Amino acid sequence: MIKKIFPVVFLVLSIIACSSDDNTITTPPNEGGNDVVFSRASMLRNFADNIIIPSYQELSDNLDALEIAKDGFIAAPSQPTLDNFRAAWLTAYKSWQRVEIFDIGKAEEIQLNFQMNIYPVNTADVEANVSAGFYDLSSPNNHDAIGFPALDYLLYGVGATDIEIIEKYDTDPQAENYKDYLSAVTNRMKFITQLVLSDWIVNYQNVFAASTENNASSAANKIVNDFIFYYEKGLRANKIGIPAGNFSSTPLPDRVEAFYNQEISKELALDALNAVQNMFNGISTVDNAEGQGFKTYLQSLDREDLADLINEKFNAAREKMQLLDANFTTQINTDNTKMTEAYDALQAAVVLLKVDMLQAFNIAVDYVDADGD
Amino acid sequence: MKKIVIGLLAISNIIFVSCSSDDDVTTPVDPAVVAPATYAFSRDGISTVDYNGQTTRIEMGDELISALTDNTKTEAQLDGMFAHIEGENNFSDADLNASNKSIRSKTAASSDYFSANTTDANAIKADFDTWIANQVTEVFPNWNIIATAGNAGNLQEAGGGATRYINGKGLEYNQAVNKGLIGALMVDQILNNYVSTSVLDAGTNRADNDAGIVAEGKSYTNMEHKWDEAFGYLYGTDNAENPILNEDSFLNKYVSRVENDADFTGIASEIYEAFKLGRAAIVAKNYTVRDAQANIIREKISEIIAIRAVYYLQQAKNFLDSDKAAAFHDLSEGFGFIYSLQFTRKPGTNEPYFTKSEVDGFIAELMIGNGFWDVTPATLDEISNTISAEFNFTTAQAGS
Repeated sequence: MIKKIFPVVFLVLSIIACSSDDNTITTPPNEGGNDVVFSRASMLRNFADNIIIPSYQELSDNLDALEIAKDGFIAAPSQPTLDNFRAAWLTAYKSWQRVEIFDIGKAEEIQLNFQMNIYPVNTADVEANVSAGFYDLSSPNNHDAIGFPALDYLLYGVGATDIEIIEKYDTDPQAENYKDYLSAVTNRMKFITQLVLSDWIVNYQNVFAASTENNASSAANKIVNDFIFYYEKGLRANKIGIPAGNFSSTPLPDRVEAFYNQEISKELALDALNAVQNMFNGISTVDNAEGQGFKTYLQSLDREDLADLINEKFNAAREKMQLLDANFTTQINTDNTKMTEAYDALQAAVVLLKVDMLQAFNIAVDYVDADGD
Repeated sequence: MKKIVIGLLAISNIIFVSCSSDDDVTTPVDPAVVAPATYAFSRDGISTVDYNGQTTRIEMGDELISALTDNTKTEAQLDGMFAHIEGENNFSDADLNASNKSIRSKTAASSDYFSANTTDANAIKADFDTWIANQVTEVFPNWNIIATAGNAGNLQEAGGGATRYINGKGLEYNQAVNKGLIGALMVDQILNNYVSTSVLDAGTNRADNDAGIVAEGKSYTNMEHKWDEAFGYLYGTDNAENPILNEDSFLNKYVSRVENDADFTGIASEIYEAFKLGRAAIVAKNYTVRDAQANIIREKISEIIAIRAVYYLQQAKNFLDSDKAAAFHDLSEGFGFIYSLQFTRKPGTNEPYFTKSEVDGFIAELMIGNGFWDVTPATLDEISNTISAEFNFTTAQAGS
């Protein structure tokens, strides 16, 4: 039972050279370039206008494209239409890595994260839904049978070869059911993302930006917590620690993100780290301009040293992650030490964020580890 | 054995003095009794500590609650685990099968509360029988069906979480049995039986203890053994000399849970120290100190039950709308801890913090209509506050 999640941090990195993505990381401005006086309001405004809403917009656009690609595949299952669908899935999945941090507002209300990216996918539930031909995808029972991980299975895991996979949607006795499920899952992802994006634009953008108080329910405190929670759970634990066996007696190589795809778990994890670091540094998703973020917040409190240290840790973690195989499952099975080293490097920033940064901000942690029973 | 106690005392004094920068060393509660560093006692070089019967029942309980979520089990199999008969193959562990112990015979069976109240004792035993039977007849047949209000089945927690198996009112019978046994077995036997004067001083126990007369064929006096049996219901699967906690699924686990709540850090040590000093007091034949420790144990273990009852009701409030499976799981645990409140003991009295009829009232409030499907945050707060008001903690402290 995940009780709550949160924040994100971004770092500036030594960087651009390290990034495979054009838009994630930028060099910081010159020293002394922070002429704007920091305020919580200006930070929230920057987050909302330049990071959160543009990131949801990008995801929404990519899910539109995903739906079109899906329709093309269903209309004529073939290698080219499958390849096209897979490419659209990857593009959308990468843009998802930028928004999973923002578990606030409508996203928190409808549990967007639980509906988009719970892995490992429960393939028994997926197959049961397909066979039954009816399902309530809004039920929590189906959180692990929908979203990007379900598509990962449906696009890469339902057959041993591409030919077998295509047959599932073409000549298989249940082909219509598979197509229906593929459609239902894809359409729901688009629908709920649109719901969240619309709410931000129509309603929440200004509410969020104005909620600057220092209390447990303010957007300012919640987004800080969301950021740290995401770093600790969504990134550190889910993507690296759990599959590497840091929370179990043995490694669990089938718990990696995009397990069936077998090629992109590292790419997605790096995207997530970039998203964290960019938010920390207030870097715009639109034009990479640096604005108010946790870094400038720390600078305003005379804690530039801490901001620098956190960025150093993020960069060190990135370097460790770049040493990993593109497929974390392969990495775990061949040399898990490199995985645990990446985990340790990520962990090095947790205390800085959760203790030092929160102390500087005078903000309390609002989530706890689950009871576990 | 006296030598050993004195020896430990000397050591602890040395340590104490050497650590203290203050000349004014605090006088112990009673200079005649000093607890050893750990729960280790011996006579003529042979340990006098024995609670194997308690360990056995805890292990039986662990197998039982695990079997309650195995939908291939029959009611007869589960009943056999609850009311084991010596030699029957009810368990996977041959030692348990060979044992003449049974959980049911010690359920709601304390000297102080139930020796003259077999009516309530029978009603409580019947509750456990019913929960076990209903698990098989109501929940097992609907194992693969998604539960709805009024209909048993399964619900999965949000985010791909655990799957919970519930009755038509949202209750997990396995949790009712598990958490209910913490009260009806462990707490009742400790607080209302083995640390009670009615048991410790029964028969010639006190005279025998004063004279150092051991039980036939044993290294311990009867009184020492009774106290150890109390100890065993909490630490029976743990390391007596260095408790790790969270070693079984019953009281041991929840002392750990409360200890890990920053509002209550230290409570585990208070309980352990009281057991230790009480046992040393028996060795020293100082029954005033012994009974003072019994009262500390009663107060602190009662708090463990009450804190967890409030905790689960408060936690459930967070998920009532968003995650029914998580909320119902919390409420099912809370149900069991509330049930257990009737076995608590106000120190210095012969009364629980909440009577059976008060507990029945809480349960009725929770289960009315479609039970957890209908319950409101206001009801959960009301029950939480009613419980907290009887103790030294607030709902807010217990609730997070």
